[in-house]
Amino acid sequence: MRHKEILFATCLAALTLFNARAQTGLPSLGGSSLAAHHTQAKLILSADSARPGDTILAGVDLKMEPGWHTYWKNPGAAGLATKIEWQLPSGVTAGEIQWPLPEKFPPAEVTTYGYEKEVVLLVPLTLASNLPAGPIGLKANVSWLECKDICIPASQEVEAKLNIGGEIKAAADAATVQFWKNKLPSSGNNLSARVWWETPPTGDLRPLIVAWFGKEMSAQPDFFPGASDNYEVQAATENLPVDPAHYNGGNIHLRKIVKKFSGDWPIEISGLLIGGTGNFREGIEVKLPVSSQVPAGETISPESRTGVAPVSNISQPGKNMETGATPVLPLMLLYAFIGGLILNIMPCVLPVIALKILGFVREARSEPRRVRNLGLIYALGVLVSFLALAAVVIGVKAAGHHAGWGMQFGSPVFVVCLTTLVTMVALNLFGVFEFTPGGRALDAAGGLASKHGAAGAFFNGVLATTLATPCTAPFLGVALGFAFAQSAPVIALFFLFVGLGLAAPYVLLSCNPAWLKFLPKPGAWMEKFKIAMGFPMLATVMWLLHVAASDYGRGVFWLGIFLVVLAFAAWIFGEFVQRGRTRRGIAMIIVLVLLIGGYAFALEKELGWREAMPEAATGSLKESPHGIDWQRWSPDAVAAARAAGKPVLVDFTADWCLTCQVNRKLAIETSSVRARLKELNAVALIADYTRFPDAITAELNRYNHAGVPLVLVYPKNAGTPAIVLPQILTPGIMLDALNRAAQ
Amino acid sequence: MFKTLVLLAAATFAAAAIAVETGKPAPDFTGTDINGKTVKLGDYAGKIVVIESYNSDCPFDANHYKTGAMQGLQKDMAAKGVVWLIVDSVNKNNFSHRTPEQARKEFADQKMTATAWIDDSSGVIGHLYGMETTPHMFVIDKTGTLVYDGAIDDQPDPSHDPTKARNYVREAVDDLIAGKPVAVSQTKPYGCSVKYAD
Repeated sequence: MRHKEILFATCLAALTLFNARAQTGLPSLGGSSLAAHHTQAKLILSADSARPGDTILAGVDLKMEPGWHTYWKNPGAAGLATKIEWQLPSGVTAGEIQWPLPEKFPPAEVTTYGYEKEVVLLVPLTLASNLPAGPIGLKANVSWLECKDICIPASQEVEAKLNIGGEIKAAADAATVQFWKNKLPSSGNNLSARVWWETPPTGDLRPLIVAWFGKEMSAQPDFFPGASDNYEVQAATENLPVDPAHYNGGNIHLRKIVKKFSGDWPIEISGLLIGGTGNFREGIEVKLPVSSQVPAGETISPESRTGVAPVSNISQPGKNMETGATPVLPLMLLYAFIGGLILNIMPCVLPVIALKILGFVREARSEPRRVRNLGLIYALGVLVSFLALAAVVIGVKAAGHHAGWGMQFGSPVFVVCLTTLVTMVALNLFGVFEFTPGGRALDAAGGLASKHGAAGAFFNGVLATTLATPCTAPFLGVALGFAFAQSAPVIALFFLFVGLGLAAPYVLLSCNPAWLKFLPKPGAWMEKFKIAMGFPMLATVMWLLHVAASDYGRGVFWLGIFLVVLAFAAWIFGEFVQRGRTRRGIAMIIVLVLLIGGYAFALEKELGWREAMPEAATGSLKESPHGIDWQRWSPDAVAAARAAGKPVLVDFTADWCLTCQVNRKLAIETSSVRARLKELNAVALIADYTRFPDAITAELNRYNHAGVPLVLVYPKNAGTPAIVLPQILTPGIMLDALNRAAQ
Repeated sequence: MFKTLVLLAAATFAAAAIAVETGKPAPDFTGTDINGKTVKLGDYAGKIVVIESYNSDCPFDANHYKTGAMQGLQKDMAAKGVVWLIVDSVNKNNFSHRTPEQARKEFADQKMTATAWIDDSSGVIGHLYGMETTPHMFVIDKTGTLVYDGAIDDQPDPSHDPTKARNYVREAVDDLIAGKPVAVSQTKPYGCSVKYAD
């Protein structure tokens, strides 16, 4: 009986003790009934004895049970930093807590920074020089929050004894203290790190870039922010790719998002730069001013972000410059649509469209409904082609290469095939031969544009797209640059809108058969129109030959010869096979012989058409004796010229880019601009994009362009960023830019 | 590896970007309370609404209840016609999860005053509002605009006296009733992390 009573009394006592924390008589809530600590605290010292005037290191050793953790000085989105309240005898002063490198704990929505298993927080204790000899007791009250699935605040009194007088004698714990001292972040005083706001804020969020030179390309670089009151640097870190030509503060660039609660955006950020992996993880403590200006030469790289902050152009403001237009998705889609519309009248596309008109005129009389359907199928052909292009761009991006608009024209094989195709179309228009449904493959390819029916409509759409791609219309320049750096869905959407613009006029016409009455009645004029349309096609062939010239140099002559042979074969085919009545078989054989012979001799042997010539080496690229003395572009060339205090003109151009050639002829290679360049002692560099070298693609993407043209003027002052000129240039715009550069 | 990091960061960033913003309309939500009733934020249009992210096992949150400060605040708010919604986003597998029965008992034992205690163990409402800690408080004005998002008071401590601290929720509601703009609209919330599912 007595045992039971004792047991009962003990239990009662224990229960009473447990409930002692309840202050209002309400039933106690979960946390307090889990009274046991999961962390043990202990005070260790680097020395057993020390002299007055010395500074020793004290360590608060927290050992946590598995799964439990305590927090860093900045706990993160939740939690509480460990606090140490010292009770020290007079003459002993404690410094700030030195926090070893913390871990980052998930989940992503509520990320925290802290420690698990064990941590020793180090505190320097300074002993006054007039401290009397003898033993002293060092006490502290350590309070922390320990969390696993639940959180428990806990505290513990810790103490240690220190002997004053005599030499410093290392304590048994000295090795432990040293071990944890090695885990402290190093000071970043000698590090050149930079922090800047990437863009202006969107509401209460703003992206920040932290850049520094890491010892090696860290697998998972990161930035742990210090604690702050009126703002929070959020935990998500984006590791941005850095172009070695544009370090601008570091080979590591991290994007962090800052959320502001109140007051102004911070002008200084403190935290740890994290590098290395696993056991070799290290941190560098920094406190850096945040500049609102992107560092010199650096442009905003619109990497995979989806619509939070608009990208802003850092061009110099000026009435003729590209004003800092901030592309926003709906506006860019509008540009895409308008660009598509404009593509309809580009010389590359117009002849095909003219053929469409003929098709409409022929069919309109008979079946308006059929015309509408054909119009829609044409639009479908265009959209499908554009989506295919988008898929290619996305694929190339995913493969890690930079994508450029019109990149298919970089392949010499493609250029030759397209030239052949367009020649065939021209010959067909001239009436040299007709396309018939039972024709051979070559005929089919050549005659696609003049096919009738649904398949014809579809191929018309595909052909229009193919021809349109290298004509980067003015509107499309910036918009394409924006789109190319976006995510896959945005790229697809963008291409779709260009396709819609391209197809729009014809869908409109085909859906409103009534408007067809404005088209002229069929008649003899149609035949003349058809022949006349052959000439723009020939012009296109000339242009393609010009493009091919950069691949084959003077060997393009052989391509021309092949085309002549092709034309001859086409005439024989048309005259003797199609229109002839006798000896058709022989004629056919002759045609085949001509084609095969022409191909084998001209293309394969003489030209070696599948392989382009290697690019010419260095050397002056003057167009004429009095022309601008162009040098080949490279990031080093730019840097060298700027270091010498010279303004730099960079022309990003390609042989297949008509706008570039027009700009060159009308605006750049003019006497006034040449003179000014000489006066300013400026350096003129050409970046030849004809074959899409990766370095130039990267540079174009930096300035928000997916393709050429792009003309930059770097001012004399090396600290000032480059001036981005508009797509269409005049001598006035050039001179204005050069004047600005000279300031 | 890098791609995963970027995707993770982008997703988190997107999540952060989706989270609510003071000065903008507070997103509507529908939940089930511990009595089985459907609760919709939109039902309270025209009233001031306070949303409290709850987990009484968190010492920060428990402190407000053990001292009676939270109950006092809830009563005062109810007297002023303010709608008070408790959102419990602790996931089902966590120690601190409360079944509706346990929740009803706790509600009665702790003498809480609230329009509804919503069972958000799926974490949908928590994620929608970007609830990070318990407690994490939100105040919505009569037009449905979010006017306060952040800590309950200015002392991020699990053992202070809340009645002596500066209570941002009380201030925001008082500002609204007086027709003044809310002085402090955003602070850094403190507490234990919300126990979403992994």
